[in-house]
Amino acid sequence: MSIRREDVLHVARLAELEVAEEDLPRLVEQMGRIVEFVAQLDEVPAGDSAPPFVAGPAQLTLRPDAVVPSGLVRQPAAFAPEFTKGFFSVPRLGAMAEGE
Amino acid sequence: MSGVGTIAESVGSGRSTAASVAHDVAARLTEAASLNATLHWSAAVLDQQAAALDGLSPAERTTRPLAGVPIALKDNMVTTDQPTTCASKILEGYVSPYDATVVTRLRAAGAILASKTNLDEFAMGSSTEHSAFGRVHHPLDASRVPGGSSGGSAALVAAGVVPAALGSETGGSVRQPASFCGVVGVKPTYGRVSRYGLVAFGSSLDQISVFGKTVDDAARVLAVISGHDTRDATSAPLPPLVLDAPRRNLTGFTFGRPREYFPADLHAGVRAGLDRTAQALQDLGATIKDVSLPHARFAVPTYYIVAPAEAAANLARFDGVRYGPRHLGASGDVQGLYRATRGQGFGAEVRRRILIGTYVLSSGYYDAYYRKAQQTRALLAEDFRKVFEEEGVDFLLTPTTPTPAFKAGEKVEDPVAMYLADIFTCAINLAAIPALSLPVGRSEGLPVGAQLVGPMFSEARMLSVASAIEGVVDAVGEVR
Repeated sequence: MSIRREDVLHVARLAELEVAEEDLPRLVEQMGRIVEFVAQLDEVPAGDSAPPFVAGPAQLTLRPDAVVPSGLVRQPAAFAPEFTKGFFSVPRLGAMAEGE
Repeated sequence: MSGVGTIAESVGSGRSTAASVAHDVAARLTEAASLNATLHWSAAVLDQQAAALDGLSPAERTTRPLAGVPIALKDNMVTTDQPTTCASKILEGYVSPYDATVVTRLRAAGAILASKTNLDEFAMGSSTEHSAFGRVHHPLDASRVPGGSSGGSAALVAAGVVPAALGSETGGSVRQPASFCGVVGVKPTYGRVSRYGLVAFGSSLDQISVFGKTVDDAARVLAVISGHDTRDATSAPLPPLVLDAPRRNLTGFTFGRPREYFPADLHAGVRAGLDRTAQALQDLGATIKDVSLPHARFAVPTYYIVAPAEAAANLARFDGVRYGPRHLGASGDVQGLYRATRGQGFGAEVRRRILIGTYVLSSGYYDAYYRKAQQTRALLAEDFRKVFEEEGVDFLLTPTTPTPAFKAGEKVEDPVAMYLADIFTCAINLAAIPALSLPVGRSEGLPVGAQLVGPMFSEARMLSVASAIEGVVDAVGEVR
């Protein structure tokens, strides 16, 4: 299964990741090799089976449902790129802009 | 540099001051600057911590198990008094509004947080060459890598700047650099140490882990940071680790030597180091038994599906909205902001893993890759369970890495070759069990590490066994 240029562009769109045109040939080649490498799992004997495995405690315990102070030593305005009137600010959605 | 126990005893009893420790650490950090192992440290932050400790009453100070012990932290654990960047441009200048649980516990135990250490960006790599702030140099040979992704922490312990440091593991990121640098690296059972405040990479694999100059150094730090934390839902409901006394005799212990971990092309120096360790175990009274982990060869491909899939989901939060630098795309809308911030903020290896992770989770490929990898993960975990529960094996003995430290630049352009550096470590993370690496000699001057692997929550016993090996194996002698 080889990776094509369109596959890289498709997953880059899904991942909200800008990929520079000049990086594409190398990414196509490297992703192709990685996918070929992981495809070795096709060789796992079909009859081999094991109980499903989940890392961590067998049973997750919930915290008491109580309001506790956040313990933040600085508030979002101190680390957010843009913060206005208690909200993180972003540019408008493209789709909304088109509809206006 | 004194060990963890000696420093804690000296500062705790008032025979020396935390201020003098802080002063010495600052001098050593300055001296070691050429390693590029440290991303952030400041004399002011060191002095502030020392002054708080020296200001305690003698009675209060003696109760701190790590009084005045300088400990370095991989820069993917959040701290309120120093930046946390994960060695990425996407978090440049970020200072967390809260401390990680391990940081809170270290502070409460009287430790001095010495510095934040360099790493492969977001802990993705095996050489610490994938840092946005430049590669870390191996302390014994600057042309080589210290391993990764916790290469900065490993290098600082190996160079004697600190006696212990924290790193994090997803596929071997503490044991592999510990092996390369000739120090001890302990990866606890998944859930033993809280992940609260560890920047997530692969949530079902990530585990904060410890470097020590000696087994005792690492063990004392692990005892402090372990234990249940309500802020991490995957934290095991267990009290902090209680250490066993170091052992001098291993009569009655059985060590399994999995044949899949000793391939014909294993580096001769690594093989010699492991032979010497097996002999030492037998001399200490233990039995060595050949065993098989039949699915071992599928560990790396499984890992490189599961870890990138989880990374692609975890790293979605870095989008230029809530923290870190922001880049506005040409489109001027919010999607352009996401794409430009992420495209310009992440380095090449992180971008590659996000793309692979998104690919294996995408419609049409999920069953072929992700589901298959989950099934194989279960087989790998079952292989380990069987040797421990059905074959009477206490611990497995394996090499930590297939070769000693490799040259910088040797694998950086070939992701698959780099991934294979984790061949003996990543199955352990997939199976969520504990393991450690300890130095067992040198090959042409470069450290060789032996790995012990144990069943879930066997750390106390494993550390006591490691101390027995440490007592009889010459960790810096040339192997033959």
